[in-house]
Amino acid sequence: MPKLYRLHRAALYAAVFGTTVAIVSTASAEEIIIGAATAQTGGLAPYDQPALAGLRMALDELNAKGGLAGKYTVKLIIKDTRSDTAQTATVAQELIDAGAKIMITPCDADPSISAGQLTQPLGIPTLTLCGSAPVLTAAVGDVMFGTYPADNVQATAVADFAVAEGKKKVFLLTSPDSTYTANLPEYFGKVFEKKGGAVVGRGTFTMGQPDFSAEITNIKALADQPDLIMTAAYEPDFPAFIQQLRGAGVTIPVYGADAIGTPTIKGLGKLVDGVVYTAAGYAEPGSKLEAFNAAFTKSAGHAPESTYEVNGYEIGLILDQAVKTAGSDDPKAIRDAIAGLKDFDGITGKITYAGTDRMPLRPVALMRYEGGEGKHIQTMIPAAADVPAP
Amino acid sequence: MIAQQIINAVSLGGVYALLALGLAIVFSIVGLINFAHGELMTLSGYALLAALVFGLPFPAAVLVAVSCGALAAIAMERVAFRPMRGASVTSLLLTSFAVSSLLKVVFQNGISARPQAVAMPSWMTGAFSFGDFTIGVGPSISIVVSALALIALELFLRRTVIGTAMRAAAEDFNVVRLMGIPASRIIATAFLLSGLLAGLAAMLWVAQRASVDPLMGFTPVLKAFIAAVVGGLGSLPGAVAGGFLLGIIEVLLQATLPAAVAPYRDAIVLSGVIAVLLVRPQGLIPAVRVQRS
Repeated sequence: MPKLYRLHRAALYAAVFGTTVAIVSTASAEEIIIGAATAQTGGLAPYDQPALAGLRMALDELNAKGGLAGKYTVKLIIKDTRSDTAQTATVAQELIDAGAKIMITPCDADPSISAGQLTQPLGIPTLTLCGSAPVLTAAVGDVMFGTYPADNVQATAVADFAVAEGKKKVFLLTSPDSTYTANLPEYFGKVFEKKGGAVVGRGTFTMGQPDFSAEITNIKALADQPDLIMTAAYEPDFPAFIQQLRGAGVTIPVYGADAIGTPTIKGLGKLVDGVVYTAAGYAEPGSKLEAFNAAFTKSAGHAPESTYEVNGYEIGLILDQAVKTAGSDDPKAIRDAIAGLKDFDGITGKITYAGTDRMPLRPVALMRYEGGEGKHIQTMIPAAADVPAP
Repeated sequence: MIAQQIINAVSLGGVYALLALGLAIVFSIVGLINFAHGELMTLSGYALLAALVFGLPFPAAVLVAVSCGALAAIAMERVAFRPMRGASVTSLLLTSFAVSSLLKVVFQNGISARPQAVAMPSWMTGAFSFGDFTIGVGPSISIVVSALALIALELFLRRTVIGTAMRAAAEDFNVVRLMGIPASRIIATAFLLSGLLAGLAAMLWVAQRASVDPLMGFTPVLKAFIAAVVGGLGSLPGAVAGGFLLGIIEVLLQATLPAAVAPYRDAIVLSGVIAVLLVRPQGLIPAVRVQRS
């Protein structure tokens, strides 16, 4: 094709295309783009996908009523991060270039921070789907918001419960490979010691490590036997650990946090009897959460796997409320509105950002596996004074 | 406690040895490090899960799963590697990476990104004790199965015609072909054996981990590769020695390192590997015909 002709055609396309864009944008002038840099593949996918499913359901419902605050139709652009921190930054940049005014990031601190470093200078409010490391928001700055109960809050809830049960000695199993697995058990240890318990040993593992036998032998050899093992290991490490622990004849109870509230862990059946974990809420009969679960089942064709779905759904509600308060789609105004949210009525309970460092205050449900089912123990908001600093 | 750690080390080393052997068999014949070996394990794991879900008794399910690993290995050779026969080492290596990535995505999108719990029979989580000394059933099975598999493989290579042909092919493939032994049969057998070993290793791996996930093949193939290199690439006794050495070092470090240094465990293990290779560049037990990938 001659060059001149090619240029002509390009100009023609541009003209046609430009007009179309113009028409579309006048037709829906009040459109707001939400960018979701989330893992559709890789190790975080089992956490991001349920949360994203909840968020999509909320946005679909809101769009049916005119969009955020009833007037900004949401256009959700989803890009796969492949559970890779560098890739998360790449797709976050693509989403920003596409005009995202709100950013949604994966269920983990590290990729969320890498995306946050791009959104922070632009003032784009950024919400992690279920990343719960409390250091996450401070590492980025004032645009970064957690949505799930923070690790230190969850750990305090579990520690309070362990103390109330009369547990005295704990062994902490951590992994330096992620903020979550490294810090959560240590938060637990701090609260536990403050309330009269003792940390009698510590062990570490590498995520994806095949063999826990050496660690387990160390636990068995402790002169001062723990009456509890606390870990934030999740799949596939948690099943491996508990399988090998029980296989070695150790019957010490194991407690964890939200990441083991999944169908995979539940599917381990008898192996996880007595394991205590946390969730963002519990569907008591007649509760809003029960109604949500029913609605989700109807819309998705399967029941929610965990409370990540409802947490994602609540992100939609939070954004709706924030845009209402802000009265505009200006990212900075939306950010301020989220930061000022107080006693917002979510599905799982009241959610407050005001006065926090952008990790929400919200209830934590304590759960325990019994006979292959997650049984509710209690739902609580730990006293702020007990929660260790991040 | 020391005796306990030795059992732990032998049990882990045995699994690594099976894996390294699977890589080494194929490498010795076709000069390919098959990085999709881990996905053969994943496939066997899913086959076990499926067989259990369909209600097969446990031993039958294991049989199905191991055969699936073997068949998948043959299919992999037929579909991906046979068209590449005679290609450069780099092309073969890239092909194996491609197969590996492709299978991972198929598992993630076709089955689930979430690990699937595999309920092992309750006797496998049991333990028996001598005095104050407890041995888990799982590690014992690992040790016995690895030992039996190594002996069976040795017998196969020593006592059968095709086994002898394979040993000869590892030394000089062209001469073996001149002797009238079809190349395709030898190569297919090499893949079959590597698939069987991957299937067995997968059973031991899953029994210890209680779940299968799309990415579970990555760590084992990496460990197997390290073990095979330390042992001497292409040398079968070397692969076994490398596997046990790696298992023993890992457990030893895990057991003795103070908590502050523990996160550097993998770095220390890999430094050890470099040290071994500095002293013995061809590996612990070098292959007769040394090749470099």
